[in-house]
Amino acid sequence: MKNFRRFALLSTLATYTLIFIGGLVRVSGAGLGCPDWPKCFGRWFPPTSISQLPPDINPSQFNFTLAWIEYFNRLVGVTIGILIFITAVLAIKNYRKVNKILIPSLAALVLVAYQGWQGGQVVESQLKPLFVSIHMVLALIIVSLLIFVTQQSYYLEKPEADRGAIFPRRTRLWMSLLWIVGIIQVILGTQVREGLEVLRQRFPLLSGAEIREYIGPVNYVHAILGIVIAAVTILAGYTILMKSRNLSGLIRESVWGMIVLIVAQLIVGLVLVVAGLPSLLQLFHLWIASLFIGVIFVLYSAFRRQTGGDHAIGA
Amino acid sequence: MQSERKIPAGILVGIMAAFILGIGGLLIIGLAEKSRSGLPLLGQVPEFEFIKQDGAPFGLADMKGKISVVDFIFTSCQTICPPMSGNMQALYDQFEGADNIQFVSITVDPERDSLSVLQEYARDFGVDDDRWVFLWQPIEKVVWLSEKGFMISARELPMGHSSRFVLVDPQGMIRGYYDGVDDESMKVLLQDIRKLARES
Repeated sequence: MKNFRRFALLSTLATYTLIFIGGLVRVSGAGLGCPDWPKCFGRWFPPTSISQLPPDINPSQFNFTLAWIEYFNRLVGVTIGILIFITAVLAIKNYRKVNKILIPSLAALVLVAYQGWQGGQVVESQLKPLFVSIHMVLALIIVSLLIFVTQQSYYLEKPEADRGAIFPRRTRLWMSLLWIVGIIQVILGTQVREGLEVLRQRFPLLSGAEIREYIGPVNYVHAILGIVIAAVTILAGYTILMKSRNLSGLIRESVWGMIVLIVAQLIVGLVLVVAGLPSLLQLFHLWIASLFIGVIFVLYSAFRRQTGGDHAIGA
Repeated sequence: MQSERKIPAGILVGIMAAFILGIGGLLIIGLAEKSRSGLPLLGQVPEFEFIKQDGAPFGLADMKGKISVVDFIFTSCQTICPPMSGNMQALYDQFEGADNIQFVSITVDPERDSLSVLQEYARDFGVDDDRWVFLWQPIEKVVWLSEKGFMISARELPMGHSSRFVLVDPQGMIRGYYDGVDDESMKVLLQDIRKLARES
């Protein structure tokens, strides 16, 4: 049982690493480093020199560095697919009758297989923005399922965990709102990014400030909503820490995590605007968002453990 | 008690992990940007077999392993050929000590430019070794090599030949085109030859 939880946690952390690597592929411009899928330039291992290219492939497409960045993303993707497969097998073995573990484990397995295939569609579509965004949202859904599975297996091991917490009355509502608005904000962010990519392709000489101006209202909505989410998160976090009692280590760390992540996200967002959208910060902006959504999900599940109004205090 | 700590250990571990990933990310983004700033790969030179001014064969195999600068000229040309060959000579002199860099001039007037005419032309430009070769073949093959091999125009030869210099890497891959009568373009070519030499 403990092994299952450790394995599910490993899968979760590995998936977050993959989200980072996937973002890295995008910001480094390596998305078409391998122009075909599942092979790379017609080979299972990317070519190391032009002489290894098959005759029907245009050699001007070959860039050794970009090919290996994309190939590394695929290798890590396959590894995570295997991890999630093992997690699902362990779930079938150990939790056959526990639907809240079995179903999300199997769902994660189905989705990760679909995600692998969809990654091929991303390449075949020549990185069509909609396909790239679907790829990212799917990754967020998979990681949420894995978080859920990990947390539920922890609660099965420790049935009393997080049951004794006393916290402000509307905390669960605020957490669910933050989660939903967080997802909407990520989707808005993908719209900003899509606009950014289209503009950069069409007008490569535009500065970061000019690009933001041309993206239009979605850019401002994204920025304002970001500030609102940050304010609500910090206020909710402060209230939980100040007004709650008997919080477990998991909840306390998650609340701190939520605050640190949103402050980091605010700083990154601000620097993105000031410094002209540098690639590394775009990557962290997306990655922090995915971590934030995960932490909110953990908190929501933890606060759901405490049933009935008799343990809650007025906020 | 652990739960009373100001900032939990998990947060610090997360910050450390983010820092390490950030350094790794920066490194990879840097590598990707560097890889794109290199010379583009514009196409593979096909197999061909021409004859050098000394009668020996010369083909793609002789370009492999060396950086080559290729142009198309004819010896009786009085317009763009003298400055083109003058610029080629300047490069030939500049890379005197570099055996891995060669210069290839192909005649677009094979009827008048016999091998002996090409030999004399080479002498006029101070060629005294194999680093600068002059190639000959019947006009049909010249047109084919120009258009299909180096992807440069070969209409109304000999007068209509291109003023382009073509930079080819040691794998026989075309890496750049330069205007053989433009000084600025020649400076760029010089930089690109050096860049390619470092790359190989």
